[in-house]
Amino acid sequence: MFKSLDPILLSQLRLAIMSHLIVVREADFNALKDQTGATAGNLSVQISKLQEAGYIEVEKTYKNNYPLTVCKLSPRGIAAFEAFYNDLKTYFDQDFSIK
Amino acid sequence: MENEEKVLNPQESLRIIRESIDLAKSSFRENGFHYLLWGWLVAGACLADYYLDAVMGYPKHYMVWLGMTVVGAPAAVLYEWRRDKKLAPISNPVRDWHGRVWMAFGISLLIVIALSVQARVSPIPFILVLVGFATFVSGSLLRFAPLVLGAMAMWTGAAICLALGYHEHLLVQGIATILGYLIPGYMLNTRRHV
Repeated sequence: MFKSLDPILLSQLRLAIMSHLIVVREADFNALKDQTGATAGNLSVQISKLQEAGYIEVEKTYKNNYPLTVCKLSPRGIAAFEAFYNDLKTYFDQDFSIK
Repeated sequence: MENEEKVLNPQESLRIIRESIDLAKSSFRENGFHYLLWGWLVAGACLADYYLDAVMGYPKHYMVWLGMTVVGAPAAVLYEWRRDKKLAPISNPVRDWHGRVWMAFGISLLIVIALSVQARVSPIPFILVLVGFATFVSGSLLRFAPLVLGAMAMWTGAAICLALGYHEHLLVQGIATILGYLIPGYMLNTRRHV
């Protein structure tokens, strides 16, 4: 039986952000921009949506007098990503894993 | 990624997860700097020590190790300091563990050298065991097979030392360092530019 997938994560950029953060746990805005290849505006919008969903925490700080936005995966975000991945598995016949 | 609201199908979702995770892992792969720095210094010091002691009979042959440390330690600290400045305050679990492993190695190394000097035995086999251990953990954390194989070269070198004398230990360490540090170091460096 196919399980319905979390609509928050069924977006290319939001899923890419979450997949990145699941490895590094936290990253600054520029690192996420480099990793995803997204435009600043688009990335900003999707980060806000993930923050509204409680999947990431956003901390605005300063580094060398320049503003720095750090995105951190929340426990809720980790649980959501794991649930999404497990639900995704139901769509595939073969056993698979991400190494 | 301009299609911010594009709804993904399961295949696309899986592909994005895999690609993003692979990219995230590769982004903090070590660039090989420390392996190249210490690889050249240790291999050079081994050969220099062997030449000065076994060939020339120079009594203060051990000074090459002091010279190696004087050159290597500030270079390594400066490199890390500059990298920290660039990356802070972003934490990276793999990098943090990597640092802890090599810190534990450094402390163990000092103790092993002190014990070996006191016991008047060659420290080299013990150093190779420790280096092999740290390199194995590093290779596993970075998921980089050449480092794991390099660790095995170090352990093999330690075992070979059982059958050899001190001067030959230096040559074994030099060869093990080339196999365990320099080759993986250059491979990491190449990989970074791919």
